[in-house]
Amino acid sequence: MLLSIVIFLPLLGVIAIALLRGFGATAVKGIALVIGLLTFVISLGLYTGFDATTATFQNVTQEEWIPGLGTKYHIGIDGISLWLVLLTTFLTPVCILAAWNSVEKGLSGFMMSLLALETGMLGVFCALDLFLFFVFWESMLIPMYFLIGIWGGERRIYATVKFVLYTMAGSALMLVGILALYFQNGNSFDFTTLSGPFEHSHLLFLAFFIAFAIKVPLFPFHTWLPDAHVEAPTVGSVILAGVLLKMGTYGIIRFCLPLFPDAATHFTPLIVTLAVIGIIYGALVAMVQPDLKKLVAYSSVSHLGFVVLGLFSKTSPGIEGSVLQMINHGLSTGALFLLVGMIYERRHSRMIVDFGGLAKRMPVFATIFMIVTLSSIGLPGLNGFVGEFMILFGSFITDAFSKWYVVFAATGVILAAVYMLWMFQRVMFGTLDKTNEELPDLNAREIVVMLPLLLFIVWIGVYPKPFLSKMQKSVGLVVTKVQTEPAMGRAEKQMLRDPQLVLQETQRAQREDIEKEAETK
Amino acid sequence: MPIEINWQLLMPELVIASTLLIVLVFDLFDSISKAVLGWMTIVGAGIALWVSIQMHHAGTVGTQFNDMFKVDNFSLFFNIIFLVSTILVALISMSYLDRNDRKQGPYYLLILLATLGMMLMAAGNELIIVFLGLELMSLSLYVLAGYFRESPASSEAGMKYLLLGAFASAFFLYGIALIYGGAGTTSVPAIAEAIAAPNKSPLLLAGMFLLIVGFGFKVAIVPFHQWAPDVYEGAPTTIAAFISAGPKAAGFAAFLRIFMEALPNLQVEWGSVLIVLAMLTMTVGNVIAIAQTNIKRMLAYSSIAHAGYVLIGLAAANNDGISSAMLYLLIYCVMNIGAFGVVILAKTEDGESLMISDYAGLGLRKPLLAMFMTIMLLSLAGFPPTAGFVGKLYIFKSAVQAGHIWLVIIGAINTAISAFYYLRVVVTMYMREPEEELTFTSYPSTLVVGLVLAAIGVLLIGILPSLMLTPAQNSVF
Repeated sequence: MLLSIVIFLPLLGVIAIALLRGFGATAVKGIALVIGLLTFVISLGLYTGFDATTATFQNVTQEEWIPGLGTKYHIGIDGISLWLVLLTTFLTPVCILAAWNSVEKGLSGFMMSLLALETGMLGVFCALDLFLFFVFWESMLIPMYFLIGIWGGERRIYATVKFVLYTMAGSALMLVGILALYFQNGNSFDFTTLSGPFEHSHLLFLAFFIAFAIKVPLFPFHTWLPDAHVEAPTVGSVILAGVLLKMGTYGIIRFCLPLFPDAATHFTPLIVTLAVIGIIYGALVAMVQPDLKKLVAYSSVSHLGFVVLGLFSKTSPGIEGSVLQMINHGLSTGALFLLVGMIYERRHSRMIVDFGGLAKRMPVFATIFMIVTLSSIGLPGLNGFVGEFMILFGSFITDAFSKWYVVFAATGVILAAVYMLWMFQRVMFGTLDKTNEELPDLNAREIVVMLPLLLFIVWIGVYPKPFLSKMQKSVGLVVTKVQTEPAMGRAEKQMLRDPQLVLQETQRAQREDIEKEAETK
Repeated sequence: MPIEINWQLLMPELVIASTLLIVLVFDLFDSISKAVLGWMTIVGAGIALWVSIQMHHAGTVGTQFNDMFKVDNFSLFFNIIFLVSTILVALISMSYLDRNDRKQGPYYLLILLATLGMMLMAAGNELIIVFLGLELMSLSLYVLAGYFRESPASSEAGMKYLLLGAFASAFFLYGIALIYGGAGTTSVPAIAEAIAAPNKSPLLLAGMFLLIVGFGFKVAIVPFHQWAPDVYEGAPTTIAAFISAGPKAAGFAAFLRIFMEALPNLQVEWGSVLIVLAMLTMTVGNVIAIAQTNIKRMLAYSSIAHAGYVLIGLAAANNDGISSAMLYLLIYCVMNIGAFGVVILAKTEDGESLMISDYAGLGLRKPLLAMFMTIMLLSLAGFPPTAGFVGKLYIFKSAVQAGHIWLVIIGAINTAISAFYYLRVVVTMYMREPEEELTFTSYPSTLVVGLVLAAIGVLLIGILPSLMLTPAQNSVF
């Protein structure tokens, strides 16, 4: 019940705004912020009520929905989705506050899209029914499509259509995979009853993986990302980098690894190669970007490459590091996009050459920017370090792929320092341009927007235990599933599912035993 | 031999037949406001709809006229589709006819006649009855397509539709003749018995292919689709909506009845043909729709593509395949008439806005109208939580069950292709600035009622699909 409230409260906000938008901009913003904060506060109840000693799904709600299609309204969270849910509910109010004054036209539509998007994203992370998962996965596209397409930059239409088509092409294949799983799951879309091995597992793995790889985005499926990021409004970029990309990596943990372990093993060399290429390629391309936003966008390609690398290490530290890095990337890249947005609102330019010496004029901005930059690079003591270290450690101890991959991936850490620090130097130090002399420092609202992000950036960096401890059991389950090669045959599994067959089998065995005894006598 | 007539079985058809007679009579009196005729049509179709729903609930089954006419949940479900389409079309027609200063009597009369023809097609248990229904429907539609006599486009549409339609009817009739030659009967159950034997007469196969060609013309599947865009573009917009909805469903109703009940033993042959046709229809329809700049033509190609999706269900030929095709046709009729309704409403002072570029800026100037259009287009594109998504998913599911994985993959890719041109209209409405300031006529209340009903239907079936899914699953013969 609690989980359903968290998922659908933002949707209630959408309706409230639709009905009350006549009362003016302040009312719309107020409703959106209150709903966003309320959702976050309620979602904290999920954290406090979470039992970290078990890997089973919690806060489960299961209701009949469409019996004719064999699908249910079935939701729940485990130690992995818990964090993504919290990340989503945390970032949404931050975004609402960040967009306070920057939306010029159609404010109510903007806030409605943002809240509808929140419901879609939360649904994706909580759905335990493949049909429901797909419903949320697809429906979240529409608000994002509007966010980029209406409130975006100059080439917004190109960017938004590209974003939607890429995602839809991927999800078309996933849909076929879901339907094929349905018939192998005893005519049910229920995720919790799914257990391998499945027929055609390699093809099914690919059907899911390509959809997720496009979302991540893994090299070479990444080309939609820079366009979408550059054209999206600040808040759109924050949500895109902060949460939407995580839907891809979440899908890999939730579906690709535990359901198709043999296929995951089979494709590991290919995927890890692509991940390492992504890490280095993203970093190199980021280095030469003249546009701040594009630089951050390409750094995402690089960072998400690390996450995929960690996932396919199939070790506990590797996957835990990946999940943590998903949160970290949401926080620090989200913060970077917010900062870029703030400077853009002042100067109406994102070109690095237009800046220089800002540290003198905007000390608070420069300080916050420095912390976030260092977090993105992975400085010890800040969140990025913990995640990247665990990923590299997990990848180093794994047998799944050669250590050379890790060696190459590690260069990505150095390259990150190069492009981030170089960018920081060019923007913050040097001579202050005349046009930039009048730029005001951050105001109170903007500081309030940034502070919670900074809090978590430091917290995870210094004391990540509360974050890791909650996910350990769930990650452990994924690791066991992906590392144990399927021992049972298909027929045996079918039998386990059908009590009638089990009964017959035991009866037959008993009969044979009796016959044997009779023979020996 | 006296024929025992069970009037109750014929109730929906009788209601429609009496309504059309009443409309005919009332049209004679000049003193009566002609708007009444539209309302009579709606009330008559509404009563027939209510009766059909009641009979469907009760699970009425029975045959009439020496087994030539069969009432079962299958025909009753299709009655619901036809009558819903008729009511929606009547709602969107009223202000449209007023605006264009047209005679209303013959218009509603022909619509009711066509509806009656469709109901005959769905209930036909005998190839000749199906043919009668088909002709009753088609002849009415030919006239309706050319209803705006002095408009060259409308006349051309009527003429083209007549010529190609007559051609199709000839194919269909020839097919019936060949099947009669092979099976010795034209009764649906008797044909099934006659061809139960393992040896398949070449006459039967030839007849079957001709039937596919005939139906292919009527429901506009590739490569028999060429008439559709021209007719949709030229015909009055309300009639384009009507042609794209009810008659297409009626064609599929007869298609299902004949192929599933009379020719199940030839399934190996027609199954593979339908798979190829489905692939062709979806792909050609969607790809050509991308290139369209006229919204009516775009909707025409989209309706061709949607016939392709329905064919996936037919090709699956299992129970889920049949019920998914039926559910999809219902959903498709509602959303397509809704989309055409917006096209009618989005009229500027200097005429209808038929170019997609005319819709620029609609999102800001007419937010309500743009919202309706967005709901319909998202449903056509198959996005959740709209009905189009559920319908498409159910069809794909039945095809996976039948083992047609490749067909589903092509269908799914086509969904992504179709999203491109549906979303382009949304892009134009919300994300482009209008080139010139256009003034819009006010909202006629009947049209808005029609749109609201369609939107509610699309969202309701999308969120609670069981409402229509269970009836559809109970309607497989």
